Amino acid sequence: MHEMGLAIEIRRLAREAVADRGPGRIEIVRIAVGELSAVEPDLLEFAWEAAVAGTEDAASKLEVDFRPARQTCRVCGEIAGRAPGSWLRLCPRCGDALTVSGGDDLDVLRVVFEETVPAGGARS
Amino acid sequence: MIEVDVKQKVLAANATAAATLRARFEASGTLVVNLISSPGSGKTTLLERTAAALKDSLRLGALEGDIATERDAERLRRMGIPARQILTGGSCHLDARLVDRALAAEGRALAALDILFIENVGNLICPTSYDLGEDFKVVLLSVTEGEDKPFKYPAIFSKAAVTVVTKMDLLPYVPFDLTAAREQVRSLNPAGQLVEVSAATGAGMETWLGLLTQKLAAKRVKTRAGVASA
Repeated sequence: MHEMGLAIEIRRLAREAVADRGPGRIEIVRIAVGELSAVEPDLLEFAWEAAVAGTEDAASKLEVDFRPARQTCRVCGEIAGRAPGSWLRLCPRCGDALTVSGGDDLDVLRVVFEETVPAGGARS
Repeated sequence: MIEVDVKQKVLAANATAAATLRARFEASGTLVVNLISSPGSGKTTLLERTAAALKDSLRLGALEGDIATERDAERLRRMGIPARQILTGGSCHLDARLVDRALAAEGRALAALDILFIENVGNLICPTSYDLGEDFKVVLLSVTEGEDKPFKYPAIFSKAAVTVVTKMDLLPYVPFDLTAAREQVRSLNPAGQLVEVSAATGAGMETWLGLLTQKLAAKRVKTRAGVASA
């Protein structure tokens, strides 16, 4: 269960990205999570709620862009239609060995930020 | 409402710390091995046997990651190699900053080694994500765990350069399909090496030790090339 540590780190990076925008709240953080990143997206969304609870970002949402890995046969090419989490030992068409690529993403992609007017500030 | 493109690795801070460690290990010519497996699959026992076989010819050392107890570091110190325990409290993995702090605290005993073993917290998931500045990851799979583990924990089996199947002496007594295990590992990691050992009988240990000394020799060539070009 390292998702809590990751959630805190994601919020730190998101806050860093909007640091020069003044006061405000994070609305959405969009991240990429690969199939081979050793991260469970549901747990991460749950951890996010805990990481932002009681802060100005409490209402924010973590959006996960799931990136599947690819299993490829040297002869037949990429195996299409493989369900996430199910792996093939050998190519179902020709029985040849497969290779795995991609799916190790764990990136912060984008932050949506709502600026707020500081209390007692620019109300004229 | 403003949208800001970030495009940053979540683990960028760990990656920076790991890169610093890697540069340091490069300069000292130390081969660093990050061992990952379920609890009880035989990481410490494999290291005990490795220490017994190599400690007279090579300078070995170990960092032992656990949630609690000094037990593993003590076991390796008894084998005659310097070892420091890293207690994570409750955290399920080691990160590069913990490794850096442990090395700094230990000082000379763990500096200028030929091989540094980092035994991660027993867990097949979380340690996978954290680069520790190692040369390669080793994943252990004991025959008592079942042959389905590579497909169940694909991240670590696809990333580890070496898979060690342990407790091979128990194979006759457990329903472990060795062919299926081999095929699953090969499917996730075609370029990886697979070693099958029994620390109890010593079977397969020559292959494991040979692999280590061969990787160390390759690292030394690389270090010398680095010194020459500096």
